[in-house]
This record gives sequence, C-alpha cells and structure tokens, in this order.
Amino acid sequence: MSKISNDNLARAIYLAVKDKTPTERSSLLRNIVKFLAKKKLLAQAPKILARLGQIINEDQGVVAAKVWSVEKLSARTKGKLVDFLARRFGGKTAVLEENLDAGLLGGYKIEVQDEVLDLCLKNRIGQLQTHLTRS
Amino acid sequence: MVSRIETMSNQIVENLKKEIENFSAEVKVEKVGKVLEVFDGTAKVSGLSDIRASEMVAFSNGLFGVALNLEEDAVGVIIFGDFSKIQEGDEVKATGKILEVSVGDDILGRVVNAIGAPVDGQGVIKTSKTYPIERVAPGVVTRQSVDKPVATGIKVIDAIIPIGRGQRELIIGDRQTGKTALAVDTILNQKGQNLICIYVAIGQKDSKLRKIEKRLAEGGAMDYTVIVSAGASESASLLYLAPYTGVAIAEYFMDQGKDVLIIYDDLSKHAVAYREISLLLRRPPGREAFPGDVFYLHSRLLERACRRNEKYGGGSITALPIIETQAGDVTAYIPTNVISITDGQIFLETDLFYKGIRPAVNVGLSVSRVGATAQIKAMKKVAGTLKLDLAQYRELEAFAQFGSDLDENTKRLLERGKRAVEVLKQPQYMPVKMERQVAVLYALTQGWMDDVPVEKIKAFEEGLLNYLERNAKTFYKEVTEKQMWTEKGEAELKKAIGEFKNNFLTKN
Repeated sequence: MSKISNDNLARAIYLAVKDKTPTERSSLLRNIVKFLAKKKLLAQAPKILARLGQIINEDQGVVAAKVWSVEKLSARTKGKLVDFLARRFGGKTAVLEENLDAGLLGGYKIEVQDEVLDLCLKNRIGQLQTHLTRS
Repeated sequence: MVSRIETMSNQIVENLKKEIENFSAEVKVEKVGKVLEVFDGTAKVSGLSDIRASEMVAFSNGLFGVALNLEEDAVGVIIFGDFSKIQEGDEVKATGKILEVSVGDDILGRVVNAIGAPVDGQGVIKTSKTYPIERVAPGVVTRQSVDKPVATGIKVIDAIIPIGRGQRELIIGDRQTGKTALAVDTILNQKGQNLICIYVAIGQKDSKLRKIEKRLAEGGAMDYTVIVSAGASESASLLYLAPYTGVAIAEYFMDQGKDVLIIYDDLSKHAVAYREISLLLRRPPGREAFPGDVFYLHSRLLERACRRNEKYGGGSITALPIIETQAGDVTAYIPTNVISITDGQIFLETDLFYKGIRPAVNVGLSVSRVGATAQIKAMKKVAGTLKLDLAQYRELEAFAQFGSDLDENTKRLLERGKRAVEVLKQPQYMPVKMERQVAVLYALTQGWMDDVPVEKIKAFEEGLLNYLERNAKTFYKEVTEKQMWTEKGEAELKKAIGEFKNNFLTKN
C-alpha cells in the first residue's frame, strides 16, 4: 500500500473545493474534516493546511514572502519588493508578511518558501569576517 | 623602535584595506531549511527542496552535515561534529557542493580527522586542492593487472600470500591476534620503497593510535605516512566518513603517479557505525540489523583501490582492510561480504597466537588471488617448494600424533615442516628485507636446515643472516637489482651457508 502524503491530501482537497459554490463548499469541508478524523489524520491538519495554502498560492500566481527588516518598510519599498518578487518567482503578485528584527543591523532578509535572499548587514559582515580570516 | 612599530601597523592596515577592497559580498538566493528533529548525530530537516544526495549542508553554528535521506517533505542529514549544539528550528543551508576534503603534499606525516583537519597540534596544513570524498572507482580501461609486489617485510606473507600493488588483501582475525601489528609492520617496511602509506583508524582507542603514531615516528615511517583518525569517542557519522577521506587522500597521491598503501583499521567498526546512522535515519534493517546497502558501502570503497596503466598516469592504491571477527566466526555478515570483495585474505588465529606462532597466520585458510605474479622471480623460486612443504606438513601432522612408526619420507616431511613453521615466525616490528628473506628460505627449502635442531632454528637463522651480510654480497646485490640470482650468486650463497652451518653445528 502506498503512503498517502500530506501533499496528496492537500491537492485532493484543493481540487475538490476549487470550483464549488459557497453552500456546496461548506458541506464538502465538513465531509473532509470527518474523513480526516476517521483516518486519524487530524493531528496532521496544520501541515495539510500549510501545504494547501502553498498550493492555492501556486495555482493563483501569488508569491507569499516573509520579509525581515530593521524598520517598517515604506509603501514605495513595498511596491518595489512586490514587483521584484512577482517577477523573480514567476507569479502575478506577491503577498508580504512583514517582520521587524533589529538584529539584522540594516537591509532586508526575504524568505520565499525554502529560498532565502539575505541582504542584511549582519550577513555581509559575517561574510567579510570569513573572507578576512581565511585569507 | 617606534617607527618600526608604526611601519608594521601601517602595513597591517594597508593589507587589511586591500583585502576589504577585494571582498565582494555575494548576493545569491540560498536554499534554506529548518531543523525538525535531532537524533544522535543525525537531524531531520524541512525545506531544502532541490538538494542532491550526499550534498553538504551548513548549520547556522558552523557545523557541516551531509544529506543522506531525501524524503518527500524532509531531508535526513548526518552531522559532522558536536550535534548537541544544534537545536530544533536552527537554519540549515544547502551548499550545492558534494563533500570534499583538502589535500596537498604537506599532509604527509600528519594526523588528520575524518574531515581532513589536523588533530596533531602541529598547526594548519597548507593544501592546494580539494578532492571529493565519494568518487566513482576507476573504470576497466584505465586499469592494469597487478604485478608489482608490496614488500611487507613479513616472511610468511611475502613468501606464501604475496600482496601486489593495487591489490585488496583482507586481514581478518579475532581480537588480539596481531592484525594491527601486521599493518604497522608493513608500513615500517616501506622506507625507501616508494610507497606512500595511509593508516585510517576507525573507532580505535586514542591510546592505541598514539602508540602506533609513536612507533611509526620512531621507525622514521611518518615521513611517508598519513594517519586519518576517527576515534572511538567520535560520532558515528565521522567513523562512517573516515575511510572515504582516507581513500580521497590516496587518490590525490595516485593521480601524481605514485603508489599508495591504505589500511582501514577496521571495517567491522565502520559497518557498525553505518548501521547506527542507518537505524537513526529509519532505514529498514536487514541481516544482523545492518541496512541493505552495507555491501555497497564496502564494495564502493574497496573498488577505488586499483593499479592504473601508464596511459592514464600510472600509480596505484593497495588496500589492506582489517576485519575483526567474533570467536573466529568468518561466516558472519560483514566478514563474508568483505572476503568476497577483496582479492584474498590473511587469516589470523588465536590458537596459533598462543602456540607462539607469531604472526599467527593460518597458512591453509589464507590466500592471495593475485598470487605469484606479485612476487619477484627469486622469491617465486624459493616459495614454490615452501608452500608444498607446509601443505604436506599440515596433512601429516595429525596422523603423526598417533603412530610412532613412520617411514623415512614422512619423517623427513615432518621435520622439514617443523623447521618451516619455525623460520616463518617473526617478532613484531622486525620486518625483513626481501633479499634476506630469499636467502633464509633458500637455506630452508634446499635442506640446509634439516639437521639443525628445531629449537635452535631461530638462533641459526639470526646467525646466518649476520654471516651472509658479509659473505653473500653478490647474491644480495643480484636479488635486489635483478630480482633473481645467477649461478655465481648462488654458488656464493651455498658456500656461505655451508661455512656458517659447519661453524654453528660445531659450536652448539
């Protein structure tokens, strides 16, 4: 018997729910929860939901990104970032989740799924340190 | 004085400025994962979607690991170093590189750990290149058949179980039967033989390793030796890695056309370390709880031993893996695996060891599949009859215990056998040069020792070698240079043996 992964479940849920009307959806979702409970998969629910979120974003061309910065981003920077990320990751638009972290010292750190673009000062100083100690 | 300090500080500042100018921070998108769980020496990491098998990963605290298990939503990683510093949620970066070890000529004479870093307290090793730890073994077209001997300096091996350059010969036996001693003796005998030695200690006590290093240094053998150490206190992942690091260093020297001897001490501990890693990574256990690919673990390692032909640069790697058996059981999983991979085995026995036959080689069970092609002509000549003598002796020995009335021929064979066993005994750390071995075995097989009492054979041998030093120079020269004696040399040897024997028998 092949194992049913969280990815398989999330995809199945998305395909089932995708083109349904709101009333159809609510009964369908109830059934899905019952199914998960019956198969003892409720403990996996957070992982399935996270994967479902990713699948929906992929399908609709939304790039979900987490951004860390020292100060709050200005509207202009945000607009630029959204454009850049949408282009870089081939989506229609990007959704930013902003976080503040004074430890970065300056610059940004952007995370999209498991890819990280580290443009913060802390990282650069670290790189300089390894460069100087190695040479 | 002040101005000197000033110029020095100026220099430092200038250098620093130059370095900073040269530095350009690379901006690149990195694949990053997060640690989900940490077991003993292994971790499960989420993310890292495009990682390759055996790719190196870097943990946020500077430790390195290698991705071994690629699963649908996680990656199983083995950690090299102190895994207790890694916590759940730590960042893990994919490096895009397969694990490599730094190599260079300066590594000779040093003791390094499983990732190639020095552990002998003699400072950094200047290295010029890196070599991949996992590499596909050389193909058929690049190889050449083995025909050049590795002179181990141990009479019983050089005469009966010869080892050739590029061969893989297993040393197998219970604990305390002298397996490591054979290996160390072999290294000691390589002085001036153009053979670089690599000793890989896997799961050995640090005290034992220290002793070996000291012995090698005393014998002047560290000049051409590298020790790769993964001690008993280190994690299973380092033990698993050590032999591959060793063979990567060996390949560096082989690529320069040099001959290399590598000793894996021992592969049973290596298999146990791999079993530990595999079980922690939840790979299914098989026979004796070893994972299914434990054969491949050793076969891919030992296949990298080879003799390359001149067209592809020459050079060779001779491998001497060591396996420790439990109560002489050679039919256990790992011993049978390694026996089938190697080109022969040297079988050491506890019983022989306690009978005083040291090295405790069981001549009947030991074989070398390369055989006489890896012997010089002179040795071939004397060893041929020796093998026969010993085989007949073993057969008759059992019968001889029952009957006292034996015919002349049987008695003669028994006496010859007893003397052969005596001659093949050899103390530890006393390797004998090839031409001297040939001379002693010549005396034995030509019957010169038949009327010397068995208990005096050792004294006879010792005295004979001393006497020949001065009185068989031509013979020694011929064997060393042309690998075979001429009639002139043989006559000289016969005369010298005759003179010495007369002298010896009248004195004793």
